[in-house]
Amino acid sequence: MLYLPGPDDMLVLDIAYMIYLKFEEFPSALRIALFLDNMQYVKQVFTSCDGLLRKKQFCYILARHGVTFELDDEIVTDDDDREALQEIINNTKLSEGYLTLARDIEVMEPKSPEDIYKAHLLDGRASAGANVDSARQNLAATFVNAFVNAGFGQDKLMTVPSETSSGGTTGSWLFKNKEHGKASAAASLGMILLWDVDSGLAQIDKYFHSNDNHVIAGALLGVGIVNCGIKNECDPAMALLADYISKEDSTTRIGAIMGLGLAYAGSQNEQIRGNLSPILGDGKAPLDVIAFTAISLGLIYVGSCNEEVAQAIIFALMDRSDSELGDPLTRLLPLGLGLLYLGKQESVEATAEVSKTFNEKIRKYCDMTLLSCAYAGTGNVLKVQHLLGHCAQHLEKGETHQGPAVLGIAMVAMAEELGLEMAIRSLEHLLQYGEQNIRRAVPLALGLLCISNPKVNVMDTLSRLSHDSDSDVAMAATISLGLIGAGTNNARIAGMLRNLSSYYYKEASLLFCVRIAQGLVHLGKGLLTLAPYHSERLLLSPTALAGIITLLHACLDMKSIILGKYHYVLYFLVLAMQPRMLMTVDENLKPLSVPVRVGQAVDVVGQAGRPKSITGFQTHSTPVLLAAGDRAELATEKYIPLSPILEGFVILKENPEYRED
Amino acid sequence: MGQGTPGGLNKQPGDRKQDGDKKDKKFEPAAPPARVGRKQRKQKGPEAAARLPVVTPLTKCKLRLLKMERIKDYLLMEEEFVSNQERLKPQEDKNEEDRSKVDDLRGSPMSVGNLEELIDENHAIVSSSVGPEYYVGILSFVDKDQLEPGCAILMHNKVLSVVGLLQDEVDPMVSVMKVEKAPLESYADIGGLDAQIQEIKEAVELPLTHPELYEDIGIKPPKGVILYGEPGTGKTLLAKAVANSTSATFLRVVGSELIQKYLGDGPKLVRELFRVADDLSPSIVFIDEIDAVGTKRYDAHSGGEREIQRTMLELLNQLDGFDSRGDVKVILATNRIDSLDPALLRPGRIDRKIEFPLPDIKTRRRIFQIHTSRMTLADDVNLEEFVMTKDEFSGADIKAICTEAGLLALRERRMKVTHVDFKKAKEKVMFKKKEGVPEGLYM
Repeated sequence: MLYLPGPDDMLVLDIAYMIYLKFEEFPSALRIALFLDNMQYVKQVFTSCDGLLRKKQFCYILARHGVTFELDDEIVTDDDDREALQEIINNTKLSEGYLTLARDIEVMEPKSPEDIYKAHLLDGRASAGANVDSARQNLAATFVNAFVNAGFGQDKLMTVPSETSSGGTTGSWLFKNKEHGKASAAASLGMILLWDVDSGLAQIDKYFHSNDNHVIAGALLGVGIVNCGIKNECDPAMALLADYISKEDSTTRIGAIMGLGLAYAGSQNEQIRGNLSPILGDGKAPLDVIAFTAISLGLIYVGSCNEEVAQAIIFALMDRSDSELGDPLTRLLPLGLGLLYLGKQESVEATAEVSKTFNEKIRKYCDMTLLSCAYAGTGNVLKVQHLLGHCAQHLEKGETHQGPAVLGIAMVAMAEELGLEMAIRSLEHLLQYGEQNIRRAVPLALGLLCISNPKVNVMDTLSRLSHDSDSDVAMAATISLGLIGAGTNNARIAGMLRNLSSYYYKEASLLFCVRIAQGLVHLGKGLLTLAPYHSERLLLSPTALAGIITLLHACLDMKSIILGKYHYVLYFLVLAMQPRMLMTVDENLKPLSVPVRVGQAVDVVGQAGRPKSITGFQTHSTPVLLAAGDRAELATEKYIPLSPILEGFVILKENPEYRED
Repeated sequence: MGQGTPGGLNKQPGDRKQDGDKKDKKFEPAAPPARVGRKQRKQKGPEAAARLPVVTPLTKCKLRLLKMERIKDYLLMEEEFVSNQERLKPQEDKNEEDRSKVDDLRGSPMSVGNLEELIDENHAIVSSSVGPEYYVGILSFVDKDQLEPGCAILMHNKVLSVVGLLQDEVDPMVSVMKVEKAPLESYADIGGLDAQIQEIKEAVELPLTHPELYEDIGIKPPKGVILYGEPGTGKTLLAKAVANSTSATFLRVVGSELIQKYLGDGPKLVRELFRVADDLSPSIVFIDEIDAVGTKRYDAHSGGEREIQRTMLELLNQLDGFDSRGDVKVILATNRIDSLDPALLRPGRIDRKIEFPLPDIKTRRRIFQIHTSRMTLADDVNLEEFVMTKDEFSGADIKAICTEAGLLALRERRMKVTHVDFKKAKEKVMFKKKEGVPEGLYM
């Protein structure tokens, strides 16, 4: 269906939806509805299906997709039931499920950054050569620690004192970081306690009473991270953060604003808009505050085409002076605007017209960003051609719009396997012919295409680029190595990164990138994925994609953003983090262990009968981890899954026709 | 020296930062090589990327058409982009210019010498076939990743600096064994054999992709497997599928290739084969029809037999000898496992023995499906009849039946293959198999 041109594709999907609905294949109908991004259809699936269990399964699918969906009386009449269903959509049980998985696989033991670096595997010289500035090294350790222990609720740096109960130890790690480093350190606590709202807030609370603005900012950001993807009835994030967004200190403000953006991504919350929009119009607000406000609004209203937010950001862009437009952070403003139209195709055109009136410096950049965001995940070949055309020009004036254009190719082409592989080929050509500013973006685009899916050829290309003589290319390639291996524990990438760490042992900034990449490879000790696609690569979670591209845009100017004082943009990745598990639950939503076969997925579309859908499989018992390209099927007849696609949470029903042999 | 350890001897990564600082100066020292030590011949990047993605489903349908069109669109785009670039900045002229400059620098004639030792990234000690050793510079356009002590180099005729290197000292016999183009057969094309696939994956692929799993458990991964079973049961097919799916280098040899005319050539070839495998590691060596060299030892009377035995002894040594082989896995295949030398099969050399039985009914059905999936069948074809039959079919027999049936249909200029074709084909194949005894004569 992604291959059909023009209006036909929508027609085909519509018909597919009707057929599924008619034959009561409700989960499949729901997937199509989500693919179309048609909430009306989603509602229709809910109303035309009876049976509470099935609805619960739908809720799990919606929760994984990361959409906000309010159940009303029409859908579920009973109040208790509705509450239970809403709870599933709100992802409240995600942390519990994740920890169950971790316990089952026996990886609860926290890991320290040194366990990840594995410096003992290198020659003596590298480990001895610790002459980098230690603040940066500590900052890297903070991020690695946060990524590796994400969601586990315990680690070896930040949460230690809960055992020793001295209260001083955590402070000591926190204060090993300097100034803005402290913000990231405090926020890393949020990452470690990811999804666990209650205990997370309790642990972060102590930092609010600090008199260091950076620590407060970090704590505010941490609150946002903990609440990422989770909706709680009492809205703790809102209650805690709202007060801080109008504070004097800009660090604190950014912390609060970014926290809100993360916690309410995709929620289209009116109240927050009311709070944040005035900041954009505020002439006295510093540029960084405005930039982060734009991104947060973009995240909250991702893919909504909201007119008012768009207006606010456009005005903010127009108000910028010439010198401000040259600032690297300005790039976040067009991106915030682009996020509003993520995947919305033609709806962007009006805004794109307006963007033509912008200052020359930002006009093209804005144009590229809007275009690439609007067609992200559509696989539209014409748009790829358009973007490629922009990359073909050789510029002399040092314009920056080719970076987003290269990223745009990846964003548009990542929709399906064929486009993805062909885009990788096109990017090879860009590397060959492109100027330096294109070469810098190519590794990032490769990282986006193969996120959490370490393909060997891409790995080789990135490994080659990571030794590039241009340090920006090398840094981007290093980060991308981390992205393609994110959460896979891939031994080959880990080995490459170890070698890189000894190769660059004298260069603080490259070493920092290597460390971040190492942290990403071992993300959540290998239990998490960053892939925005789920449900057998059909559905694209908009918030997840938004998080990733925000980071990638920030990476386009590595030196002034990530290596400068805005390194906390790395936490935008939290939006894309999801456990890559298959968890089977019984009718009471309690975990249930059943044997499943996990193997490489075979494309069986268009084959008659019941062909083998997986090959080279091994049998495990749930919960299990699914790697990229893996598929699972039940190995027992005793239960019937309520969703044809075994990913994430799946409810099992006992098979009434099953007889014990 | 420097067994490929990337933290190698004499590279100075720290120099880079200074490079950045003195950008305005004219001369910049070349970037240090990524690694020093063994040569790296594997340059997979562009070739691997040049392959087009596989398009499923295989049957001709709209979806396949659309997917093919999508690929075409992308290729057109690539063409447009590349031709645009060529127009803007003709690569060839530039290349030509560079090349003539390089040729000027190199001078002519160049003398051939030997690299004795690398001092730092720009200097080395070289020797020519006659005369003393010299301490000379290495010109910046020489690919330093490829330099290793002991390799043949080109030197300038006057100042003797290193201006190039001579590659290709691999025995051409070995280089043809490398499978450059992966075969088309994948695991999906194998009907049944699930246990065998799993076993070969565990023994051969998993140790190459996830060595840490074996480390964690604390065992050494198996070194090799032997596939045995009756003719036509899919031994070679499975090896092809392994070659198709693996990202490791795949070298394939037939046992008889290892028997050479001159004394000592056979063992040398084996040594060379494993050396290349080690250079290109991770790699998989597949030796088909191993019984050609691997038969039991006995008192040999002729020199030829003794030579074959020596070849086998070299093979034994390479499989589990004094030198440890790193990421090299060996797959052997034979249909006469009973005649092989027991030393070849002892654990430590070949750890796993995988038997390929004749297909059972379920597998037979799968194989029939695979072979007929691309054939145009008439409506009356009932494959179940052949699946359920009592005759012993191997996978190859089934393929022969399908091909034969297709040929019969072609002979009569029909577009569809009918049930009768299949029946005739089956009889024909069974007849040939039983060497002329017609089926059902003695039943």
